[in-house]
Amino acid sequence: MATQKPTKFDQVDWDNLTGSGRFKISINMKLLLVTGVPVLLLGLYDHFLVGDREATFVRLGEDLGLSSQFEALGLDFNPTSVDILFVFTIFLFLWYLVLPLYQNMRMTKYYWKEFKRNRPAVISLIWLTIIFVGGVLGPFFVAMPEQDLFAAYQPPVFGSIDQVHVNQCVGEISDGRCQGTWEYPLGTTRGGQDVLAMVIHGMTVTMQIAFITTMIVAAIGITFGTVSAYAGGWVDEIMMRFVDIVLSFPTLLFFLLILYIYGAGLGMFILVFGLFGWGATARYVRSKALSVSEEEFVKATKISGAGTYRIVRRHVVPNTASSIITQLTLIIPGFLLAEAQLAFLGIGDTAVPTWGQAISSGRNAIDFAPWIVLVPGMALFLTILAFNFLGDAILDALNPEAEAESEK
Amino acid sequence: MPRRISSKGNHASGINRREWLGMLGVGSTMALAGCLGGDDDDDDGDGDDDGEDAPEAGADEPDPLDLSQDPPEVSGEYHATQASSFDTINPIYNTEAGAGTAIGYALDQGYTFDFDNEVVPLLFEDIYTEDEGETWVIEFRDNLEFSDPYGQYTAEDYVYYVQEIHQSDTFPSANSPDWAGVEIEQTGELEAVATPPNPNIIWPETFAPLEYPIPKELLEPYVDAEDSEGLQQDEELLDLSFNGNLGPYNLEEWIRDGGTQYSRNDEYYLRDLADEYPMFGEAPYFETAQIEIIEEESSRIAAIETGETDNVPLPPDRGEQFIEDEDTMVVLEPTPFNTILSVNMRDNGWTAGPGNLFRVKEFRQALAAAIDKFEYIEGIANGFADPHYTWQPEFSEWFPGTDDLTLWGNPEEGVYGEEARDLVEEALDQIDEDYSYDGDVLVGPDDNQVELEIYYNAASDTQELAVDFYNNQLEQNIGITLDTNAIDGTTFSENYWSADPEGGTDTIDGEEVEWDAPTPNNPGPRSVTPDEEWDMATIFGLNTYPRNPLTNDVFFEGPNSSYNPVGYYPEFDAEGIIQNMRNAGTRDELRDAAAELFANLNEEQPYIMISFGDDIEAYNPAVRGPVPEFSNGWDFPAWHKDE
Amino acid sequence: MGLARYVAARTIWAALVSFIIVTVTFLLLALAPNPSISQAATQAALEGGDPATAVEQQEQLRGLDQPLYVRYMDFVQGVYTLEWGWSQNRAQPVTEALWQGIYYTAQYSIPWTILTLIIGPLVGLYSAANMYSWKDHLATGFAFFGWAIPNFFFGIILLVIFGVWLQWFPIQYDTSVPVFSLANAHQLFLPVFVLVTGSIGAVMRVSRNESAEFQNADFMKTAKAKGVSPTRAYAYHVMRPTMVPLSTTIVSQLLVIFLGSSLLIEIVFGIPGLGRVTFDALINQDTNLVLGATLLFTFIAVIGNLIEDLVFTIMDPRISFDDR
Repeated sequence: MATQKPTKFDQVDWDNLTGSGRFKISINMKLLLVTGVPVLLLGLYDHFLVGDREATFVRLGEDLGLSSQFEALGLDFNPTSVDILFVFTIFLFLWYLVLPLYQNMRMTKYYWKEFKRNRPAVISLIWLTIIFVGGVLGPFFVAMPEQDLFAAYQPPVFGSIDQVHVNQCVGEISDGRCQGTWEYPLGTTRGGQDVLAMVIHGMTVTMQIAFITTMIVAAIGITFGTVSAYAGGWVDEIMMRFVDIVLSFPTLLFFLLILYIYGAGLGMFILVFGLFGWGATARYVRSKALSVSEEEFVKATKISGAGTYRIVRRHVVPNTASSIITQLTLIIPGFLLAEAQLAFLGIGDTAVPTWGQAISSGRNAIDFAPWIVLVPGMALFLTILAFNFLGDAILDALNPEAEAESEK
Repeated sequence: MPRRISSKGNHASGINRREWLGMLGVGSTMALAGCLGGDDDDDDGDGDDDGEDAPEAGADEPDPLDLSQDPPEVSGEYHATQASSFDTINPIYNTEAGAGTAIGYALDQGYTFDFDNEVVPLLFEDIYTEDEGETWVIEFRDNLEFSDPYGQYTAEDYVYYVQEIHQSDTFPSANSPDWAGVEIEQTGELEAVATPPNPNIIWPETFAPLEYPIPKELLEPYVDAEDSEGLQQDEELLDLSFNGNLGPYNLEEWIRDGGTQYSRNDEYYLRDLADEYPMFGEAPYFETAQIEIIEEESSRIAAIETGETDNVPLPPDRGEQFIEDEDTMVVLEPTPFNTILSVNMRDNGWTAGPGNLFRVKEFRQALAAAIDKFEYIEGIANGFADPHYTWQPEFSEWFPGTDDLTLWGNPEEGVYGEEARDLVEEALDQIDEDYSYDGDVLVGPDDNQVELEIYYNAASDTQELAVDFYNNQLEQNIGITLDTNAIDGTTFSENYWSADPEGGTDTIDGEEVEWDAPTPNNPGPRSVTPDEEWDMATIFGLNTYPRNPLTNDVFFEGPNSSYNPVGYYPEFDAEGIIQNMRNAGTRDELRDAAAELFANLNEEQPYIMISFGDDIEAYNPAVRGPVPEFSNGWDFPAWHKDE
Repeated sequence: MGLARYVAARTIWAALVSFIIVTVTFLLLALAPNPSISQAATQAALEGGDPATAVEQQEQLRGLDQPLYVRYMDFVQGVYTLEWGWSQNRAQPVTEALWQGIYYTAQYSIPWTILTLIIGPLVGLYSAANMYSWKDHLATGFAFFGWAIPNFFFGIILLVIFGVWLQWFPIQYDTSVPVFSLANAHQLFLPVFVLVTGSIGAVMRVSRNESAEFQNADFMKTAKAKGVSPTRAYAYHVMRPTMVPLSTTIVSQLLVIFLGSSLLIEIVFGIPGLGRVTFDALINQDTNLVLGATLLFTFIAVIGNLIEDLVFTIMDPRISFDDR
């Protein structure tokens, strides 16, 4: 590892070693700066300069004197703060999770080989990719579900419903039952909204909750956990006591209290989830880091005189990565679930088409129009399931020890 | 006008858990506006059967009980189901419809109304006036007994309760406003005389005289100690164990989230009426009764499907299914609560640009004309509603008939669609600001399409559907769009619907009007506004007071009436007409004056009137007694099962 | 630091945490508009009364006419004297309301906790011992299913299938049934089933992964080499280190579901338990009851964390009290 031959084998020239990593900005960072900063600037612009009712891009076009070009390109979106934050998080995900996989091609291939053997995980990955792509691109192709009072409770294609429940049947009526049509492949709701369109728009919200909340939680939790574990002493004591307080909040009760009293927009949801959700991660990371720092090689590094930052960055974090990732995959479905539960309790913005809202809106009709609950419910279920399988497979793939042994 | 709310309320009936959340707002106002008196089962009826309207062919229409028949067998249990639990069943403090029903099983009140709108005396032997409403004489029956040790229920108990609780400053009771300015005096052991502040020929119809019987001896210690908290928390008032022979059932237990359970009262005083109503001879006819709380709508419906319960209120989209189901009997009860679209005429209304088009009568007419009431009724209320043209339901005896009314939003016979657009053009001529049509789109001075903020109750599925529907209709017919906002009912009520009463003066048609008694719901002239801006709202439905139209003075007696959150200034002589109604010496005179009021309100559309919903009640078909009437349930003690 | 002192210190801390959280709740509620007051004002306005007086009366009735700090002091005093006040929305003392809630909640929570404690770790170990066999996949699949399916969604579906369509189970919880009776077991079967499937997933998963890690550890090889019986080896060398993260998971999982899903389960199955008491109080802003319930839930959460910590410390001898 050292370029210089040390005079004694137990002495390491740390300055030389760390110098290379500390002052050079990595390619990941550069990419993040190039892509993420404009997005954040757009967010600030949207927040401070664009009026409530103006569409951000229309205004931007005016301000830049490019209105006509924007119009020609069809750039007339009005992204919300959540949308903008979502885009930023996606960049973060690309440059710090996907790109490193490409950079370390050899390891990636190895991981992939391991990962591939777990078929449920591969299917999960495909499913999540569908949700991701559907969530990001879907809204550009599928319009928001529109109300059509005379297309209420239409059954899915190949399904049927007792005529007594529908005002007008779009498809054929046979034996007193209204038959489904391809016009509404997954049926419609009480308001005649297309369930398929609802599910697609729900994907966007799902991904927004998953990405943004996880980013907030990971940022706070990992920092807090590793610092606390490594610092030890009274710093650790204070930090962990603080985590105690955060963890002791009866979360759902507080979600309810805050969202009920102060309104429940999607942004508020994400913020509240993020701020209350990192305690477990911090504690888990700390307990893992504690175990790792008890390991011999960390002690050895410490004795050799390595700096705190180096030990945490190079040894503690990588060696706890598998646990952290497992923990995070476990936490994402928790947020999706919490959102659905709150929607079920009637808390939440009914204008935001989340799966939870869809389930909630259909549950009174469950016995005669079960698709309204079942379709988004299954989508939610499968997504949560997929995150779990994925987390599990990552754990296995990143844990060559267990793997190698089991092959014997 | 008491706030004992009788109706299960149009929302309360189809209530699911989420809607119940919304009851915070909707329900409370309904509760307040609820001027029906009594409880569900002593609900009062209205004579005009023609008003009753079963929109769906095939709805069961059971006959009312014939009370001259012999008493039926006593058997089994009557098991009713409600959606939300009760805050309290202390009769002095209850303000909820559901709890009113629960109390009513154990305690009768003074009188009720039968299907012909006639007063049926219960605890009262009689209530009458001999001087055109100047004073009212109340006579009590002589067979009314509390449980030991309280003895007989007499005029003394009644007068004491009114004077020491309702008319006292120490005890903030629900009925206090009913008794403000009323002089009440005991004139005999079983007789009292009341003098309302203004002569009123239909004082009983205001429900003010209706009070639950409470023993004087029970109240005395609290009154002497001025202990209002103790009165609220009194155990006997919370378990109704003092009820004696004063109600058909005895309360056995109130399980806070589970409901109430009752056993038959063997000594019910109404049996002594056997001469007049033989069917009351052995009343009541169930061994036990129960009101169960099931919050989840699908579970409630399953309970009637599986025969676990005898009565469940249904949401509109389930009505048709149960009408066709032979194992249930569906009864459609009309309600006095309307579905309206409120528009903000105050200075913080009309956020789409300068000016405020809502203040122009023609524009409000245009809104009413742009919304197809029949599509609303079919698509959202599933047919279980009637169109709403003026401030009175059709079943009311005061409803002036549709001949002289303009049928806004009626595509067949009234004003709708294109004509709504014409009305907007007329309205535009009357304002200075630069609004105009660009093709089919109404654009403001900033050249953008007019977009208005509409608020609906986050907890109501029906309102969620409705605002989308309004948006589509208004965009299609008059070229404006709505931005829909879900909101919690309480938040809306606090920050949008009410403000600190400031008072002030405004010049209306050259006349100076002063707000000398401002209220949170009419805090002053249009310049006095709540904290938050809003344009339109569907949060609240209001009571139209079909029994006593005079009560509508709270909404419409001039700009300065006590309830005017939207800042409506009548463009007709509302005060004069309402004074005529007060001065009426006969029902006919009152009817003529009321007709004038309702004709004007139809033109003015102070609130954009949409529909009157029905309560859809599913019953076990074996139950005899329920009928599709406003006063369904007044003869509840005689209800029985026919097996 | 000895165990006793450690426990004492942690307990005092727990009390402090509860206090902080309840104070936050108190402030949140104090800042929220109260529906009953606006209702009173509207009522008075509609009936020609004086709304200002009505508001005063209503505030007086609810004890809201005092300045914030006085109300807070009263409240703090009440907390320690166990006088938690009167619940306006249930017309009974707060302690009684909470007690009634606990009575119903315990009836399904106790069987659910016991079943989770037994089934979860066992399935996990079994799965780890048979890693990548069809048994493992089946167990994992089941655990994932239970964990991933939203409890309330699963509950609604089971209720529709087995309650409405097949009519095997009652739809509505009947409060008049004796606690120890077949009928009660019958009506609690579905909620307990839903909760157990929900909670064993995570428990099973952690115990599987962790024990998989340890069963290949060097000390396990040594044990095997020394001829220790597999059962004993599993019990001592896999179970014990596994218990460290597992106990954390079990406690937190039970807590999460108890504080979260049990409310929804109570609503779906119509059980008038603690969750529903709290939720109803919250949306009606029955301040006393919300505070009492928050106090109770916080207490449970804090105690849960305390147990989690103690178990963590006791189970893993590598971590000493001094390090904590």
